Amino acid sequence: MNEFTAPSIDWSALSPVLVSLGGAVVVLLVSLFLPVRIRRGFGAVVASVCFLAAGAAAIALFAADETGRGIVADALRRDRLAELAEIFVMGAGLLTVGVSFRERGGGDRAGEYYALLLTAASGMAFFVSASNLMTLFLGLEWFSICLYVLTAIAVERLSGLEAGLKYLIVGSFGSAVLLFGSALVYGATGAIGFEQIAAGTDDAERLFVVAGLAMILVGLAFKASAAPFHMWTPDVYEGAPTPITGFMSAATKVAALVVTLRVLVTVFPSEAELWTVALAVIVCISLAWGNLAALVQTNVKRMLAYSSISHAGFLLMAIAAGNALGGRALLYYLIAYSAVSVGSFAVVAIRERELAGPVTLASLAGFGWERPFLGTSMALFMFGFIGLPPAGIFLGKFYVFSAVIDRGWTWLAIVGVVATVVSVYYYAGVIRAMFMQRRELAVVAAGGSPPTDRALVAAVAVAVVVTIGSFVAADPLLEIARDAVALLPFPEG
Amino acid sequence: MLGPGIAAYLILSVVLFATGAFGVLIRRSPLIILLALELMLNAGNLALIAFSRQLGNGDGQIFALTVMVVAAAEAVLGLGLIVAVSRKRVELDVDKLTTLSG
Repeated sequence: MNEFTAPSIDWSALSPVLVSLGGAVVVLLVSLFLPVRIRRGFGAVVASVCFLAAGAAAIALFAADETGRGIVADALRRDRLAELAEIFVMGAGLLTVGVSFRERGGGDRAGEYYALLLTAASGMAFFVSASNLMTLFLGLEWFSICLYVLTAIAVERLSGLEAGLKYLIVGSFGSAVLLFGSALVYGATGAIGFEQIAAGTDDAERLFVVAGLAMILVGLAFKASAAPFHMWTPDVYEGAPTPITGFMSAATKVAALVVTLRVLVTVFPSEAELWTVALAVIVCISLAWGNLAALVQTNVKRMLAYSSISHAGFLLMAIAAGNALGGRALLYYLIAYSAVSVGSFAVVAIRERELAGPVTLASLAGFGWERPFLGTSMALFMFGFIGLPPAGIFLGKFYVFSAVIDRGWTWLAIVGVVATVVSVYYYAGVIRAMFMQRRELAVVAAGGSPPTDRALVAAVAVAVVVTIGSFVAADPLLEIARDAVALLPFPEG
Repeated sequence: MLGPGIAAYLILSVVLFATGAFGVLIRRSPLIILLALELMLNAGNLALIAFSRQLGNGDGQIFALTVMVVAAAEAVLGLGLIVAVSRKRVELDVDKLTTLSG
């Protein structure tokens, strides 16, 4: 008879996942018994506390230990890469709570809203620490399913339902492709653990490994909304409640890109030639498609959706470099990008509430003068997206370009610079609309100007601080990013 | 007597996957699209279980069980969304769901 040994589980390393998940359960159950008018406040408070606690736990874990090791019998892995990504996700979640606090309508389902937000963040924390193909798939679906519901949570709006259904169909398609790829890789190597697969690829059937790699990459590219797998992005970003759009554009990108980096570098080091070239192709398509489509948009949310596709291009460029500099550049870029992204959607959200309708370039007219703080912040975010100082994306782009040049791909950096120049047009269009366009009489606030929304203004202020702070404090942040990727076996130096 | 080899299972799973993918791309009813998505996921399951049997380790089967749970959650959500859309008295045709475009 065999001795039974329970798998070792490092509960403390799981704490970011558990705290946010526990918070979700509390919000969901307790808000059932609360009167509708205080559900929103209760959910927001619990969610903020949980995001803060989970973020603090991730920070403590990051500071405590620089080694990486398996937790839960090697199904998950704690290392600084996962912990840093968890910090980003929890930060984005916290800002999202601030942005959604005064969202109109839906008070009776505020409990579900915050519970799903917490569950999505928890799923992302699980996803970024995934260490075998099963936890990878499980984590992916865990947060995706939460986001499908959040997209469609305003069930009285057909556009929300439509966006949710489209997201579900396209997202599941991507997951199914990833699953089939995982099955092929498992068949070729006989293992589902990332390190065991990497050890087994040498004497594996190469056809299966390459096909599996391609399908896993496609599945992750769907989540990162990189072209040509981006077709859901504009519709979902437009149809989802704006705070959720901000959360998706920041946290989903963080999770998807960190996992893409981890999977490609740790699972497929032997195919590095192949995936760097494949990524370079995806980068070029994303930059071209995202930027060109953004030029003709008048709806600001759709424009930002295309902008997020083009930023997926820049972020994947860092991974395509296949070196440690690229890994650092990716994480640093993500800090600044997440802040700018959540911040800009927050400004769109408040304008949307004022107008009770979609925000277009025309309806932004005069916004910069009406609300100087929000207008200036939005202008800063737009400068940030372009990649101008004083926003951290400036340095982020710089490091991404130097990473690909380091690899010997100067042409890819040139593509990136051209894309940046093109993007000036549509980002500057927002600033022009806010500050230099005459206000049309037709654009009036719906039901009078809404009261000052302190939670949202605070979230925007934090986003501004992080945007500028990531530029000012670039050195310590780059150190942190370097520590985070120190354990990854990069193919080139 | 021996059953079909691993190749037969793999070919079947690839055919199922392709059928599902094709169905998602060309069918217009969201219900059929959900069915096709299930087909894709279960093609992955079939491949996992066949490989698991061939390799003689249980990882693939555990993976397949997990996938079934996820697929069920996804189907529930998909059907829920379809019911919510149809309550709006909108014709169930993904080509006509075009509130969002540009």
